[in-house]
Amino acid sequence: MADGFAIEGIDITRSFGGFFALKGISIAVPPGEIRGLIGPNGAGKSTLIDVLSGRADRWTGTVRMFGDDIGALPAHQRRRAGLARSFQRTNVFADLTVVDQLEIAARAAETPNVEEIMAELSLTALAGKRAADISYGDQRRLDLALALIGRPRILLLDEPAAGLSIGESLELAHNLKDLVARWKVTVLLVEHDMEVVFSICDRITVLHLGELLAEGTPDEIRGIPEVVTAYLGSSV
Amino acid sequence: MTAGDAALEEAAPVRARRASPVVAAALAAAAIVLGGVFAGAVQSTLLMTLLTQAIITAILATGVGFLIRQNGVVSFGHAAFYGMACYTIALAMRHGVMPIEAAILLALVLPTALAFALGLVIVRIPGVAFSMLTLAVGQALYEFATKARHATGGDDGLTVNLPARVFGVSTSLFQDPHAMFVVSWAVLALVVLALAAVAASPFGRLTAAIRENEERARFIGYATVLPRVLVLTLSAFVVAIAGVLFTLYNAFVSPDVLHWSLSGSALIMAIIGGPRLIWGPAFGAIIFFFAKDMAGDVTEHWQAIIGVILIVVMLLLPVGLGGALARLWRRGAGHG
Amino acid sequence: MLVQVLNGLVYGGLLYIVSVGLVLIFGLRRIVNFAHGSLFMIGAYVGFSVAAMGGFWGAVLVAALVLALAGALLDVTVLRPLQREDPIVTVLVTFGLLLVLENFAQFVWGKDFLKMPVPAMLSGSVSIFGESFPAYRLLVIAVAAAVALGLSVWLRVSRIGLYVRASSADPLTTAMQGVNTDRVSVVVVALGAGLAGLSGTISAPLLALSPSMGSYILIESFIVVVVGGLGSFVGAFVAAMVIGQVHNFGLVYVPWAATMIPFLLMVAVLIWRPTGIAGSHV
Ligand SMILES: Nc1ncnc2c1ncn2[C@@H]1O[C@H](COP(=O)(O)OP(=O)(O)O)[C@@H](O)[C@H]1O
Ligand SMILES: [Mg+2]
Repeated sequence: MADGFAIEGIDITRSFGGFFALKGISIAVPPGEIRGLIGPNGAGKSTLIDVLSGRADRWTGTVRMFGDDIGALPAHQRRRAGLARSFQRTNVFADLTVVDQLEIAARAAETPNVEEIMAELSLTALAGKRAADISYGDQRRLDLALALIGRPRILLLDEPAAGLSIGESLELAHNLKDLVARWKVTVLLVEHDMEVVFSICDRITVLHLGELLAEGTPDEIRGIPEVVTAYLGSSV
Repeated sequence: MTAGDAALEEAAPVRARRASPVVAAALAAAAIVLGGVFAGAVQSTLLMTLLTQAIITAILATGVGFLIRQNGVVSFGHAAFYGMACYTIALAMRHGVMPIEAAILLALVLPTALAFALGLVIVRIPGVAFSMLTLAVGQALYEFATKARHATGGDDGLTVNLPARVFGVSTSLFQDPHAMFVVSWAVLALVVLALAAVAASPFGRLTAAIRENEERARFIGYATVLPRVLVLTLSAFVVAIAGVLFTLYNAFVSPDVLHWSLSGSALIMAIIGGPRLIWGPAFGAIIFFFAKDMAGDVTEHWQAIIGVILIVVMLLLPVGLGGALARLWRRGAGHG
Repeated sequence: MLVQVLNGLVYGGLLYIVSVGLVLIFGLRRIVNFAHGSLFMIGAYVGFSVAAMGGFWGAVLVAALVLALAGALLDVTVLRPLQREDPIVTVLVTFGLLLVLENFAQFVWGKDFLKMPVPAMLSGSVSIFGESFPAYRLLVIAVAAAVALGLSVWLRVSRIGLYVRASSADPLTTAMQGVNTDRVSVVVVALGAGLAGLSGTISAPLLALSPSMGSYILIESFIVVVVGGLGSFVGAFVAAMVIGQVHNFGLVYVPWAATMIPFLLMVAVLIWRPTGIAGSHV
């Protein structure tokens, strides 16, 4: 742990054609922290998660995990090293049963905790169902469960509550907060629901048009006028 | 009851569906014995000739279908592996460079190795493009075999000079429809059994997951290229087995064994039978041969008939005839 | 030497006209029409029959129109109903169609090779830098150039063309723009099929006609499309030109391996760039 950060992106740039989705972004999350990543649509949040998790090609910069440069590692090796992610658009194995896909995920992990994860995320009763046949909310939790198998050290969550009702997303958020506290997971959480972000995150990073707008504790972020106008609007 | 117990109970029916090795072995043994009894009971050489061809081709179709089942991609070029096995034996015998047993081994190894090497390149190519590529690969080999006349005899083909005995068994046995039926049938039963075991294994379930969602498989920690290459390799190996049986049975090879229309036929058999089932493609092959035989005097239009059947099955019965039968069976048995 | 290059251009040009139909349809619907080569083959036969009655130019026109109509029909009856299915379904259904069309051609025109005469007007040779070259082949080059040029202009200025280009680059976003994909698709598939018919007819005097000529050209054009990068017009053009040259020089210098060369080229390109010359990442 050379520099004391769990996950670190340094001077990350990614462009699509001539358009820069990320313009030299740096972000560093210390172990155990829940970091919120917010910003309006198109700010580059998903793109940043993609770069950190190994989904993106053609980007520049440095990605470090507990001090090691992992920028050249393919996605599956990052996962095996303990860096897991979920997806903004539900990304599960539609034709496999819940338990089957979790077991497959468990086989790649050092801590095969299928039953534990199913219990934590209320998937137990759905174990034998095909993912395609369960509700959208259950699919979102399954997506999360696939990321949580093996107790990863770092979790990158791209809007895990997207499309859920307000009640569901708050429940999911507190479920998550409780879990990562017990397992000491470092989290980078992209979330649109400000109530969720402000209630569970230790610190918040704000992106805007591929640039870093602000970073600080929830209270500090609330106090920055640019953030309020650019993103929070009058709702917070 | 803890949540974990509930999970196991809930999951139980899923796990129970995986047949135990003992049951499977018993099934295979029964199938082989049944094949022997059947061959003993049937007098007609004509029927047995037809059936033996059908069974050998069924092994080819099984290999093609396994690729669809596990990788979700459709090959139009598996005749390349089949024909390569045939020509390996034919050429080895022609030049007398090795005993037949070694030639057979080589005929299994070469196509399998080719599939592995090729797989490293083409397995990354997504769905439809993969089909286009396999077609091109298969046809390149066909063109090569027809053009390299000095080596392969070109369109005229090659008679395979088999020795009197193969693996200590009289060669004439391999060319007798009754005996060869029993051999091929046993091989088919073992192939289906082995593939079913692979499909139920962790490897089989991982490849099914990769077929389902390749990206997600990477993000739960799996390299996804090698497993798919191995599935392709295994399917080519099965196809090579069919090529070996074909060559022993016919003692003659021509570029037809490499032509895309053979790949296409095998593919159609797999689709008609239903590639979701391991035994579906073999079932499709047998239907194919009987339908072709019954078509009799309209065989001139066989190609159009089979084209129409393919279209109809794709549109109306995507699970194939085998899949439909299996569903009926399950419904009849009150399972779902 | 010059003659060799020109011959390569003839073949590459024909390949381009056939392949571009595949590219158009792929760009729009993300599917591959395995019956595309059969449209080329039917085009050649239709041209052959019409030319026997109404002359060469009439044949070109009729074949292109008939095949365009067939393309429109194909789009409405096959491609559109299947657009929500896995693209593999379309592959298999059009493969079934290939079998039917080949059998149909065999039924109507017979199995034997047919030969269509070069139109009298173009049966001579022209001298280019002192080397003589068949006039008809020059015409083929001219037609290919005209198609390539016309198509790229059309893609740049027409509404449908813009839509097709946008869709090839990014089908998801384009699908959300609220354009009537079905109407665009009829036009595009008809155009692709019409071009296949056109190239079938103009290549008929150069090739022997047989029902299986469709699958031969299909495989060659697959190589072009895959090497060029699925859905890329520029890529397909470059690939067709390169393969035209390579094919031709192969025939002259290493005839026994000529048919292998495009294939080897394809494997080399795919090792170097799995998505083809102009392929974007997927
Ligand atoms: N594959 C892509 N091709 C082109 N542009 C993209 C692609 N992915 C994202 N973008 C663009 O990059 C910007 C950032 O996107 P994204 O990271 O998804 O934003 P966010 O997740 O913050 O909403 C957006 O303007 C988006 O349109
Ligand atoms: Mg996003």
